[in-house]
Amino acid sequence: MFWTVTKSLLEGFGSTVEIFVMTLLFSLPLGLIISFGSMSKIKPIKLLTKCFVWVIRGTPLMLQLIIIFYGPGLLAVWAQGQDTGNAFIQWLAGINGFERFTAVIVSFVINYACYFSEIYRGGIESIPKGQYEAGQVLGMTKSQTFFKVVLLQVVKRIIPPMSNEIITLVKDTSLARTISVYEIIWAGQAFIKSDGLIWPLFYTGAFYLIFCGVLTVLFGKIEKKLDYFKS
Amino acid sequence: MAILEVSNLTKSFGKTEVLKGISLSLEEGQVMSIIGSSGSGKTTLLRCINFLETADSGKIMVDGDILFDGEDKTKHKAKETREKQLKIGLVFQQFNLFPQYNVLDNVTLAVKLRAKERPDYKQNKKQILKEIEENALRILADMGLSDKVDFYPCQLSGGQQQRVSIARAMALEPKILFFDEPTSALDPELTGEILKVIRELAEKKMTMVIVTHEMNFAKEVSDYIVFMDDGVTAEQGEAEELISNPKTDRLKAFLSKLKD
Amino acid sequence: MKKRSIALIMAILAVVLCFALAACGGDKNTDGNASDGNASDGNATAGNVVSDYEEIKADGKMVVGMTIYAPMNYKDENGVLTGFDTELAQLVGEKLGLEIEFFEIGDWGQKFNELKTKKIDCVWNGMTITEEALNNSSVSIPYVKNEQVVVMKADVIDNYADAESMKELNFVAEEGSAGESAAIDAGFNCTAVQYQQDALLEVFSGTADACVIDSTMAKSMTGEGTSYADLDYSISLVNEQYGISFRQGSDMTEKVNDVLKELAADGTLKALADKYELTLADELAA
Repeated sequence: MFWTVTKSLLEGFGSTVEIFVMTLLFSLPLGLIISFGSMSKIKPIKLLTKCFVWVIRGTPLMLQLIIIFYGPGLLAVWAQGQDTGNAFIQWLAGINGFERFTAVIVSFVINYACYFSEIYRGGIESIPKGQYEAGQVLGMTKSQTFFKVVLLQVVKRIIPPMSNEIITLVKDTSLARTISVYEIIWAGQAFIKSDGLIWPLFYTGAFYLIFCGVLTVLFGKIEKKLDYFKS
Repeated sequence: MAILEVSNLTKSFGKTEVLKGISLSLEEGQVMSIIGSSGSGKTTLLRCINFLETADSGKIMVDGDILFDGEDKTKHKAKETREKQLKIGLVFQQFNLFPQYNVLDNVTLAVKLRAKERPDYKQNKKQILKEIEENALRILADMGLSDKVDFYPCQLSGGQQQRVSIARAMALEPKILFFDEPTSALDPELTGEILKVIRELAEKKMTMVIVTHEMNFAKEVSDYIVFMDDGVTAEQGEAEELISNPKTDRLKAFLSKLKD
Repeated sequence: MKKRSIALIMAILAVVLCFALAACGGDKNTDGNASDGNASDGNATAGNVVSDYEEIKADGKMVVGMTIYAPMNYKDENGVLTGFDTELAQLVGEKLGLEIEFFEIGDWGQKFNELKTKKIDCVWNGMTITEEALNNSSVSIPYVKNEQVVVMKADVIDNYADAESMKELNFVAEEGSAGESAAIDAGFNCTAVQYQQDALLEVFSGTADACVIDSTMAKSMTGEGTSYADLDYSISLVNEQYGISFRQGSDMTEKVNDVLKELAADGTLKALADKYELTLADELAA
């Protein structure tokens, strides 16, 4: 039985890791773009970005999952019920929405990009103005100054809050179940239903712990690697 | 012809007029010190010349090139501004070294990035980079930092960091080197090593503009001194003459305050 | 003024977000992902009511939304899906010439969203006919009778003979289930949990004194020889009936109703109910 459970949990864990990796892959760069938006000198962009971040951070991820997955379909059903020649409504009636897994990734990426953007913003704004000015008087372009001078200092400063957020992401993957995407908690709970076994659910904790342990060690290593300079 | 020519420069922050029409000029190979109490506008003047602030009106010319013209309202391309920027170098009060690079990389970073724009960069990459490093090592040796090239800024004393930042500015071969209170962030016992470096540069006929509080040093190293007060050049003239024989009450008051 | 402009920006943001979503969705028109169970094919026209049956038929399969729950849908020792509802759905599918595909719903609370957005074609999983079900779907005729029973530890069950004596106990029941409304109607102090299985687990682990669940489930999952040997069930609260949910306005409901009656008439349904120890609804029992 132990082997059967382990095999089933590993399968669920694979999906958990997949959600985790895909989310990071897209939300890390997207977060940087959003952080630029929220620091923009152009007022409307700044306001719009800040509102967006407020909405995403201010509503539960579970709600965002439901809206992103069921929203387009419900809109289509409503449009199909309208007896009208309006081209836009006819077009709405044809929309199909995301597939389950895509919806999970889209929701997670948007949600985490917003959290990351605020961490980036804090990091970028904490870099002394003198670093930018030094880059400028040395004839470096703005992007050279950002990528060659500022970025690594930002990375060093944001590692602790980022590792916090990323470890939260590991556990948030269990929300995927809301829209029926299989992951490890589901795999574990399935044994309660089918075999009345509770321990597989507790056993899932071991997977999370090991995964988070690996991440903690990894972040510790990065932190140590950047220890050679003070900023 | 003067290498630096500033005429009628004005600058306001909101309603506060910080520069009320500054005019000064400097010959090649000479050293100019700008003195004055804090709030007199001397740092703002320096920042306006170095593109860190944009003046409201007036004109700045370096080596026959217009750096800034209040009359000219057209937007200049960033690349154009950068080219002009490279005619002048600036040493900051707070050093502003790049903490993640060692001493050598701090000095060569901007030079190497600039070399990439050269048309022959791809063909002669190795040769170019080698020359840049050799040049940097030579400058660092002049600064007495040959044994520190692999060190990171956090491993150096304030005086050593400031010398690295001077080397970094020198590596781009500016026409004029500006110093913004280069010794103010240092412990008193460390100021001597910076002054020594500046003195050596003066002997090599480097054109320099120094904003400073060190009156004795200003008197010793500069050819020309500008005393700023309340956004105007209250008095300017030959260094010896100005310090030993102040003409305005404001300069007299300023000098006597320093003696206390 | 300021408030108004913020409200305006929020509105624009919401619209932009909707468009972005819709645009993304519109791009991939035919997905044909089997596991997705997406029954719509994106070319339904506004105001033109298409027969749900025809649409499902064109799609080649009927996607049955369910959760793993004995004895209705569960996996046997070999991991093969079986159970009363599993077998019944397959029988009905055969009669209607539809292939049946089962889809496990991760969050039972989303079942009607799944149905409305055509991710699934019906909810067929020992679903009690509730007000919620009637309001959100087109429900078939009742096919199985069920009771809501009180489950508690077997060693104390004799101390509580009637509902009155249970008022002091801490109850749990599945959120939005017939069990929950039964518990509330009986005046019990009741906490909602996500699943009936969680309710059993609460009682088993002692975090709750008793729970209210379906008698069908109580029969199969408590007492000797089951995972919850220490638990037993007592008094029944309400009689409930199970039904199948189809989309509102669907012609599937009528078709399935007819097949159910047909299966009742030839005795197939009775045999199946006996196999799983279930009681058929009155209308189909005769």
